[in-house]
Amino acid sequence: MAVVKPEMKSYIWLQTADGSIQQVEEEVAMFCPMIFREVLQTEMGSSKNNAISLPQRVNRAILGLILDYCRFHQLPGRSNKERKIFDEKFIRLDTKKLCELTSAADSLQLRPLVDLTSRALARMIEGKTPEEIRETFHLPDDLTEEEKLEPLRNMTDDPRIRLLNRLYARKRKELKEREKLKNVEVEEEQHVDERSVDDLLSFINGANEDSKSARATKSKKKNRRKEQARNSSINNETGNHNQESNCPTSSCLNGDTSDVPSPSKSSELQDSASVKFSPKLDFDDGDIEDELDPAMKEEIDREVEDFARRLNSVWPERMQEILSLGQERRPVPLSVNGNGSLKRYTGRVFFYKS
Amino acid sequence: MDTDSDKDLISDLPQSIIETILIKVPLLDAVRTSILSRKWRYKWATITQLVFNDPCLTLSHDKSIISCNLVNFITRCLFLHDGPIHKFELDTSYSPTSPDLDQWLLFLSRKDIKELIIDIGEDDWFRAPSCLFFCPKLTHLVLVRCELNPPPNFKGFLSLKHLSLQQVIIPPHDIEVLISSCPLLESLTLSYFDSLELTIRAPNLKYLNLEGEFKDIRLEDTSHLVGISVAMYMTDDIAEHFEQSSGCNFDKFLGGVPCLERLIGHIYFTKYLSIGNEQGSFPVMYQNLKFIELYQVSFEDMKELLVVLRLIVSSPNLEELQISSSSITTTTDIYDLDIWEKDWPADCTFSKLKIVHMTDFSGLPHEIAFIRFLLGHSPVLEQMIVAPTIYVTDKVVKMLIDLLTFRRASPLATVKFVQEPL
Repeated sequence: MAVVKPEMKSYIWLQTADGSIQQVEEEVAMFCPMIFREVLQTEMGSSKNNAISLPQRVNRAILGLILDYCRFHQLPGRSNKERKIFDEKFIRLDTKKLCELTSAADSLQLRPLVDLTSRALARMIEGKTPEEIRETFHLPDDLTEEEKLEPLRNMTDDPRIRLLNRLYARKRKELKEREKLKNVEVEEEQHVDERSVDDLLSFINGANEDSKSARATKSKKKNRRKEQARNSSINNETGNHNQESNCPTSSCLNGDTSDVPSPSKSSELQDSASVKFSPKLDFDDGDIEDELDPAMKEEIDREVEDFARRLNSVWPERMQEILSLGQERRPVPLSVNGNGSLKRYTGRVFFYKS
Repeated sequence: MDTDSDKDLISDLPQSIIETILIKVPLLDAVRTSILSRKWRYKWATITQLVFNDPCLTLSHDKSIISCNLVNFITRCLFLHDGPIHKFELDTSYSPTSPDLDQWLLFLSRKDIKELIIDIGEDDWFRAPSCLFFCPKLTHLVLVRCELNPPPNFKGFLSLKHLSLQQVIIPPHDIEVLISSCPLLESLTLSYFDSLELTIRAPNLKYLNLEGEFKDIRLEDTSHLVGISVAMYMTDDIAEHFEQSSGCNFDKFLGGVPCLERLIGHIYFTKYLSIGNEQGSFPVMYQNLKFIELYQVSFEDMKELLVVLRLIVSSPNLEELQISSSSITTTTDIYDLDIWEKDWPADCTFSKLKIVHMTDFSGLPHEIAFIRFLLGHSPVLEQMIVAPTIYVTDKVVKMLIDLLTFRRASPLATVKFVQEPL
């Protein structure tokens, strides 16, 4: 049926990805920046044959919604209140449509509509539990339990999560220990590394006479650790190569710098510290504080503070090595400045790592 | 089972949309999306806006635990983050220790930071590290309770458009240099500075907001100013300075702002402008000035009154005027009402003035004369709203009657007397 269109109105022809072609009032269609540009640059859209092809994400039904939005908002005479009321009603759609609409509006570069729909989707995420969000958006629950816990460490206070953290950490440690026993060469490599660091440190300290005793302490520590690893009945280690290499290093430094604690005492500290800390692998301050004896904590803090200061220049390279050793590691906050109050972070690196 | 309805609705949307959505969600919830599914694990890590405020705080009675957890959270987020960070906002009453803050700022300075808002602690001032001054892409900087010491090799924030400093300690010369070394600066807010003598040179400045104890403000090279809002507090020091200063403050402040559209003055602003103001010549006309709001104008001080009159007469396109009278009244009974008769030409009209709003009106002779003056010279006036101060009770009816009898140049003018405080 031929319809005579009034002269004043001009129309633009649009073609959606699913093949349907329709004509739309010019002022409504031109409200979309993408269509606006297409018309200006390519001069298409004037007839059915050269309809403007819309991006793939825009299907017929969604185009209808978008045009409704444009039709309302392109009229300059609307008050802000009217627009707001329209918007609130407009986004009362099911989640699927809302997502498709966001996607389509984005491809047409219709920013106000993208913002509107994003806000609606944001409301569906804010304050909801993960299960609720998965339900709303049909997300697959495909992370392993362990993976789920990782990013959450320190982000929530849920004690059950902390407990699970510990259990999985312990499991992981056991696995790693078994691996370690097979990879002795890797350990050797580690020894080489830290020896050079140690050298640097003792050089910095200027305590030449102590270096020998320090090394003795260190090797003693290492042997002890190896034994413990083999036993693996009580997990006194915090279980990975770096842990091993770092602890002795710091204990070595303890031996160097602090007059009061003798090397044996410091290694004792080391051990007891590691005993206390091994079950806990998360960085939750609340937890760690609870378990540590305050005097010991002071001691450790002081020593670590010393160490941190000295390690300033060497640390970045060291960190590279550690990170490149592969396993998925949780990020460790670095203290490059080595100021006093950062000691806690460095402390954690040395005494209890995942 | 209908596979269509089970299909993941949202994870495959383009990352830009996901970020748009996650930005609209509190940061804590955004980070929690990392456990939704495999695809969502790191979707949050590329958002370009990080806002840390009260919802990020853990619930606890122990202040140090809250503070500690907040510091951890921020450090973790920054460390896990991937890609540029365009906006970083930290808005909390718990002050992180200086090394933490320094490190964060150093980190951010390497991440193309554009908007930085730091408002921490309630009583402590933090010292801004030098890395703050080397954020080349900074467009928006808001600092509260901070000590700023620009290093000698600081060349300015070349992209900065918006600067807001509140209760900031900075050497007086440095603040002027800071302002003038930001060539693109469009909006400047300075709050609670003490006894500052300030010369502002900012060729692109459009909005100026000053609040505090200022001894002297000069606007040189601010020809694009569109909106000015000033609240000037008084101390004995400043009062003394006022008495001794020479030169016309009106010219120094408003002499170079021909594009001004909106002027707001609080507390001692009109008093400040009145110093050195010579009656008579009006060299500058404010063709674009449409809104004037002046608070605490003393209608007993002739000089302040002259400032007000000078302003409105120099603004031929003035549309809306709001004046609040100062509540400090003296007991003098001598009022020289001659100026209303002699000094203002009869052909002075406010041809665009539509709305006048007088508040804290106490029926002083000059106030009444002022209203009569406005009513008689505003041919398109629509509303004259007068709200009396709460201290005046007995003269109200008489004043109302007087006001209603004044000749109105505009046939449409309505005079409203509003009793409740506005």
